[in-house]
Amino acid sequence: MDITAAFGRRVSRLAQEDPEKARRFLLLGWRANGIKNRLRPGKRSPSDRMLFQAVNQAMVRCLARPEKNVMVSLFTPCEPLLTQGLLPYSCEAFSSYLSGSMAEEGFLRHAEETGIPSSLCSYHKIFIGAAQTDLMPRPRFILNTSLACDANTLTFRYLAEHYGVPHFSIDVPYEQSPQSVDYVAGQLREMSGFLAQQTGVPVNQAKLIETVSRGQRTLQHYQDFLSARAGKALLSDLTSELYRTAAFHLLLGSPESEAMARQMKAEAQAAPPARGHQLLWLHTTPYWVPPLRAIFDHAQGVQIAASDMSYEGFVPDADPEKPYETMAKRLVYSSFNGPAQRRIQRALEVAEQVQADGAVWFCHWGCKHTLGGAQLAKAAFEEKGLPTLLLDGDSCDRGFGGEGQAATRMEAFLELLSTHREGSAS
Amino acid sequence: MTPTHYICKYTPTELLTALGGDCVLLDEAPENFDLSDQVAHPNLCGFGKSILQAVLSGGVRELVLVNCCDTIRSAYDILKAHGKLDFLYMLDLLHNQDGCSVDHAKGQLLALAEAYRAYKGTRFDRDAFLRAFAPVRPLSGPHITVLGARMGQALFDMTQSLLPLPAENSTCVNNRSVALPPDPPEDFDGLMGAYARALLGQIPCMRMTDKSGRNRLYNDPGLAGVVYHTVKFCDYYGFEYAQLKEELSVPLLKLESDGTRQSQEQLRTRLEAFAEGLHREDAPLRRSPAGKGYYAGIDSGSTTTDVVILDQERSVKAKVILPTGAGASGGAARALEQALQEAGLTQADLSATVTTGYGRSVISTGDKSITEITCHAKGAHFLNPDVRTVIDIGGQDSKVIRLDEAGGVVNFVMNDKCAAGTGRFLEMMARTLELTLEEISQVGLVWNEDITISSMCTVFADSEVVSLVAQNKALPDIVHGLNKSVAARAAALFRRVKGEAVCMMTGGVSHNQGVVQAIEETLGLPLFIHEDAQLCGALGAALFAWEMPAE
Repeated sequence: MDITAAFGRRVSRLAQEDPEKARRFLLLGWRANGIKNRLRPGKRSPSDRMLFQAVNQAMVRCLARPEKNVMVSLFTPCEPLLTQGLLPYSCEAFSSYLSGSMAEEGFLRHAEETGIPSSLCSYHKIFIGAAQTDLMPRPRFILNTSLACDANTLTFRYLAEHYGVPHFSIDVPYEQSPQSVDYVAGQLREMSGFLAQQTGVPVNQAKLIETVSRGQRTLQHYQDFLSARAGKALLSDLTSELYRTAAFHLLLGSPESEAMARQMKAEAQAAPPARGHQLLWLHTTPYWVPPLRAIFDHAQGVQIAASDMSYEGFVPDADPEKPYETMAKRLVYSSFNGPAQRRIQRALEVAEQVQADGAVWFCHWGCKHTLGGAQLAKAAFEEKGLPTLLLDGDSCDRGFGGEGQAATRMEAFLELLSTHREGSAS
Repeated sequence: MTPTHYICKYTPTELLTALGGDCVLLDEAPENFDLSDQVAHPNLCGFGKSILQAVLSGGVRELVLVNCCDTIRSAYDILKAHGKLDFLYMLDLLHNQDGCSVDHAKGQLLALAEAYRAYKGTRFDRDAFLRAFAPVRPLSGPHITVLGARMGQALFDMTQSLLPLPAENSTCVNNRSVALPPDPPEDFDGLMGAYARALLGQIPCMRMTDKSGRNRLYNDPGLAGVVYHTVKFCDYYGFEYAQLKEELSVPLLKLESDGTRQSQEQLRTRLEAFAEGLHREDAPLRRSPAGKGYYAGIDSGSTTTDVVILDQERSVKAKVILPTGAGASGGAARALEQALQEAGLTQADLSATVTTGYGRSVISTGDKSITEITCHAKGAHFLNPDVRTVIDIGGQDSKVIRLDEAGGVVNFVMNDKCAAGTGRFLEMMARTLELTLEEISQVGLVWNEDITISSMCTVFADSEVVSLVAQNKALPDIVHGLNKSVAARAAALFRRVKGEAVCMMTGGVSHNQGVVQAIEETLGLPLFIHEDAQLCGALGAALFAWEMPAE
């Protein structure tokens, strides 16, 4: 019997009968998963173990201490929350964890049954379903940015109404300019005021500078890691790649996130030369697809060298002494903001930085931003000699199906890369 | 003059007009998206794809977009890369509606004015600007409002023609209402500030952070019903529909299109059924019939054509189920002929005939055509007056209808344009498993392993089944998994209409015991299945014929 599948079924069933009980059961499972990861880390590298530990603790805390919970969109700068000891959790993190527990389907269908569009991003649908069924703990309040997709505006507004909790939304202008940075920095200052109002404690400026500085150092470590890993074999897995997204957003500014990024850099510097293909991955990873895991997880033949969900927000010239401007710059100059060409251009720079020999543009169901740029990216990447696979799928909904087809497309792409490499060698 | 096309109500059409532009709303409902699919992912929303299609087919030379949503931003990126336009511009509007937002919008207007002036080689004409503001006259008295994502003129015209009350198109761009304050500033800069405020002061669309101003659309005292239009892969308006579904006290119909003309007939059925619901209380009473007091109902479905003939006492004199064959009209004629023979009657003996089903509009026989939704409700109520919900799973669609105590339709939902959850899905799976329909109906009743077919797409579900066969999974377990999959779809529709007991199942799939059992388990309530369940639509049509006034 598949224990995870049985666990997921029980969570779904309990959520319909007694959401509080379902939450306790889920918490038990997530705690057990944390212990398992600690005791039997498998082939994971030390940095991946740190990553699993940090993300697991964050998710466990989010269920165990609802009074400290703040629901955020993934790109919301969380440093002000961390300085106040609050626990941010995002749609992507919570839904991925539910999906990893094989409990996503019931929540996803529940959301659709209430009229939420089936074409909405699955992360958001699972999240909404979990809220509607009361599985997800009621947050103290909700923060979100308009970056990086329309779903943020919709989901978080809906959930603020659903829970009847205060809501603060940060509007990120499309244009990259100092005026846009000032506008967003002003909103972030207002957000700090909002936090002070909600908690009764003002955001400590010195602590904020310290946290934002740590966040900036973390992203710099990650940049150094990307440069150091060029041409190196660093074995990891699809799940870790997804978790890094949480580490570089929700946990950005935390000591755990910085320690992990520093460790990643050290591992990259000491890693042996690569023997397999090095891929640039765009968007999240469909970690639940078994045949894709068989291809990627700790494989010598192919590795994901970088993912734009992790590197999108790095701005080299930020000054953490001006914390609001630093956080605002990350948003305004994110490679996800503005025209698709910005995301494409940044991807090409990173592909060169990590010496990627191929790119996978993952068209996650419902992500119109990524779907919209797909053909443009393929054309631009291939013009620069970077073979590209447009892979349709879903990062967290098993109902999407097509696992076999996804694996066939990926394997054919890797064969193509091998042919390409042989051609270049001869 | 080459028209300047626009798509969004926040477009400053008055400004473009004052700079010599001829502003035309881009209203494209193409046959298909063949050109769009060459340059963009097919899962972009139909509206975005229709813009791409219109430009790529050469019908648009000048286009002013607004930073509305991810899809429009993508359309802008794609069109910019393909360089087919003489003038392409995208205006960036913020989501918040504060003072900064007005300043930002003003800056955008000034930049657009500069770019457009340079392109056209014209100067700003203040008088033309002020004249361009068109007052909006909302409908007064009882009316239907069409809300939601943009509905093109062709679909709106059809909607209007089928509804019993005047209709107002308040979808997306269509509820544009911009008015300058009296005595607007004389200087251009100040004027653009006032104009920016006026543009942002409209009833907000769903992209705006504060959508509370939209309440004006639903709190209209003359509102007698809402047709809520959504576009496949546009998420904004689905959220509002989810809210209105719970809050509105007037009848509400959800209508989903994909931006093409292809699904018009299915939409017609839904609109007609909605209109029948609005008209329900005005249904004519029975009067003395002409003919010899026999009444026929013809249900022309995708797989079978069913006919029921009733006598004056509403007793069934004949019932026939025949394959529809190649043409609905010929199929209906054959089925009616056979039913008349069975009853020992001729066509002249019929006092009235009502047609229903997909083929109803092409059948020449018949005095009236009524949708299968209303007919199913009628038939179900006749067979069991306690029925409050009907789950109908036919060959090409599935629907759930909620009834009131008199057999009238309270609410209904139909499946998307997709085979999953329909009889066609089961037929395909039976073929894959090399089973007959009779066998697939029985084989999953006794099973051991609880298999879940997780793929919601028919094609992927098919490959999942093939993979299960390859894993040597037992046939009954696989079929049980398929039955659960169909049941999950039906249950989702059931919950969407807030279905309640007694629940009747009709349609061809009601003969599939495995599916029936799976639906009963999923919903936790027994299904009422009548031996004439498949004839429910034809029976309802015959009952409507019986109720018709004589000539």
